[in-house]
Amino acid sequence: MSRVVHYLNQFFAGLGGENAASTPPGVKPGPVGPGRKLQELLGTDHEIVATVYCGDDLAAASPEAMAAVLELVMQARPDIVLAGPASTSGRYGVACARVAAGAARAGIAAVASMHPENPGLDDAGAAVVIASGASVREMGASLERLAAAARKRLAGEAVTEADGRIGKVPRKNVLVDRNAASRAVDLLLARLQGKDAPAEVPIPHFDHVTPAPPVPDPAKATIALVTESGLVPVGNPGRLESARATRWLRYPIEGKATAAAGEYASVHGGYSTVWANQDPNRLLPLDVARELEREGAIGVLHGEYLVTTGNGTTVPNARRFGVEWAAELRRAGITAAILTAT
Amino acid sequence: MRSEGSAPGTGSVLRLLSHRVTAVALGPTTRYDEGTLSVSAAAACAALASDAIADFRVSWVSPGDSARIVKVLDVVEPRTKGRGGAGIFPGFLGLPAVEGTGETHVLRGVAVIAAGFLPRAQEAVIDMSGPGAALTPFGATHNLVVEFTPAEGASWESVDIAVRLGVLKVAALLAEAALGAPPDDVVTLPAIPHLRASGLPRVGAITNLQTQGTFKDIFVHGKSFGRAAPTLIDPNQLHDGAVVSGQFGHPALKNPTYVHQNHPVVAELRRRDGKDLEFAGLILAPEPVEAEQKERVSKQAAELCAAANFEGVVITKEGGGNADADISLKMDALTEFGIGSVGLFAEMAGAEGTAPSLVVPPERSTALISTGNYDEVVRLPAVARAYGGATVDVAGAPATAEMDLPTAVLYCSLSPLGAGRLTCREAA
Repeated sequence: MSRVVHYLNQFFAGLGGENAASTPPGVKPGPVGPGRKLQELLGTDHEIVATVYCGDDLAAASPEAMAAVLELVMQARPDIVLAGPASTSGRYGVACARVAAGAARAGIAAVASMHPENPGLDDAGAAVVIASGASVREMGASLERLAAAARKRLAGEAVTEADGRIGKVPRKNVLVDRNAASRAVDLLLARLQGKDAPAEVPIPHFDHVTPAPPVPDPAKATIALVTESGLVPVGNPGRLESARATRWLRYPIEGKATAAAGEYASVHGGYSTVWANQDPNRLLPLDVARELEREGAIGVLHGEYLVTTGNGTTVPNARRFGVEWAAELRRAGITAAILTAT
Repeated sequence: MRSEGSAPGTGSVLRLLSHRVTAVALGPTTRYDEGTLSVSAAAACAALASDAIADFRVSWVSPGDSARIVKVLDVVEPRTKGRGGAGIFPGFLGLPAVEGTGETHVLRGVAVIAAGFLPRAQEAVIDMSGPGAALTPFGATHNLVVEFTPAEGASWESVDIAVRLGVLKVAALLAEAALGAPPDDVVTLPAIPHLRASGLPRVGAITNLQTQGTFKDIFVHGKSFGRAAPTLIDPNQLHDGAVVSGQFGHPALKNPTYVHQNHPVVAELRRRDGKDLEFAGLILAPEPVEAEQKERVSKQAAELCAAANFEGVVITKEGGGNADADISLKMDALTEFGIGSVGLFAEMAGAEGTAPSLVVPPERSTALISTGNYDEVVRLPAVARAYGGATVDVAGAPATAEMDLPTAVLYCSLSPLGAGRLTCREAA
């Protein structure tokens, strides 16, 4: 008998709609709401031992609430965690994806269910996501697919597109019999013969970022300096990574006329930092920004700069830094930012 | 010797005499006897001596040892062409000449490894046992680890030069011990003839060398290849150390001197030459920093492939994301010439393997081979001893501790030259 933990939002847990969107994380024994039908579909070999729930607002916006949800999930000692179906509900989808991703990170099988257009899809990490219908009216079919995928996952079978799998399928390192050089020659000879031999890496498709329109009146603007150059105070007090950054830092520049040599240094591992360290203004153009501020060409320079290292940084992390920087700068009332890249 | 067994139209041949090493020791003299290599630490340190270095230390680590080497710089296979090197590592030990003919003695199963701090060098780890050992070619070799303490006041640039030259000298010195011994294996390698008519597809290689300034540079005949144009060379020159690495970034995506000496793509094309392909030649290309230079070099390399009648090319890189462009631009430039190509890429797919794998994919080709995901985390067990440094800073741990490291930190684990057996597959 395998132990199943089911995650639902406040609505499906029977606690209310939007008015209850701030319901704190909680747990009920056994299946609840759509969980009852799910239990039926899972059959007698699998038991929903607990239903963990949380209000949508809290689950999507508060990392502490999500940590508490995962804590409750783990306390129920699951063999598998199922989340949703979340259909097209954005916050619920994000919550389902993060619960499933958290369980997968802890080494527990996890399947989330949501519509392919749910914005939560990108947050599911290494967890399996199964397509649900767009609305509650398709709940029955959505639960059937979720239950079927859960049974396969528990049996150690691959869950594929044919099972309704959507989103990213995690890629894992494996050792094969032959080295990459000989596999490369095989692939080349096959392609030269016009055979459609399979490649080993999927071609990624990247977003295109539309540049923002020019700042209409720079003399009235509050400007922030942000950079991926790895420039930090000497000694790297915040321990910024030299490559594969997972975070960003902020340092005050209030009252500073220049980024002085000996006061700042770059920890970036992707380029020679010798010249930059001789004059850190080459990375963080504080000296000229102050000049422009004095001249009145720009309004005010923001009192701190934001920094990360752009060297082998994954796209999801880079995207997250962008979202966090944008939120941070908006909160601080910044009109525009100058991003120096290396 | 240089005229022996000439291939048509070339007139040169290289004989590789391999001596297998099955046991190693430190001892009073440096000698090789029936598979046992004994090294005099005093003689090795004398060969290493330099004004830039206060102190060198040498130690052996062997496969299966509970040992870890950290801050790994370069790795060199012991080779010599005679007493005093006799031309091995041209431009460093020998004159900057075109070698790749005559006889070359090789000690198999042994490597000389430089380990210690240099600026710009990213943390690089080799484990001699456990899961890490299976992911690097140097988990399976007996390794003479060379550690060093810089002299007071010496510049890091001079330390880098001294360590590189010293390690090459020690590699030649070790191989010299086997000069009088009967080889275990002799391979005769004729130079690659450029005009043949076998009817088999003519397949060559483009090897991109990461040439991005001091501590991230590659040397050909002793000179930085940074300002060079793509160059067609006799692959036999690699056996004599024409390419020497001084590149210490992206440890998993690094091609140490050892891997150039045993170039996996060249080895594979050699092995299949006359069977299902015709080995058409080897082109070395720099990996410049600037985007427009990457484009220029890529178009020039493609022109050279066309001039040498390549029908297909295996393209390799060194280094991280920006070096993806050095492969992709060449693949696209070759497509323009109607020449097929395959690129070897490592994937930067995030710890969970769900991020986009490449930084710059080709626009007109999909023939990509994966050497594994850079970001996947590997747990390394605690070890009894460590060399090269006291800590692994990226893990915030003592060098001997149990630690979780991204594959990116495991030396040569995603070998861009194709030495490894790692790839990526979609998980169930």
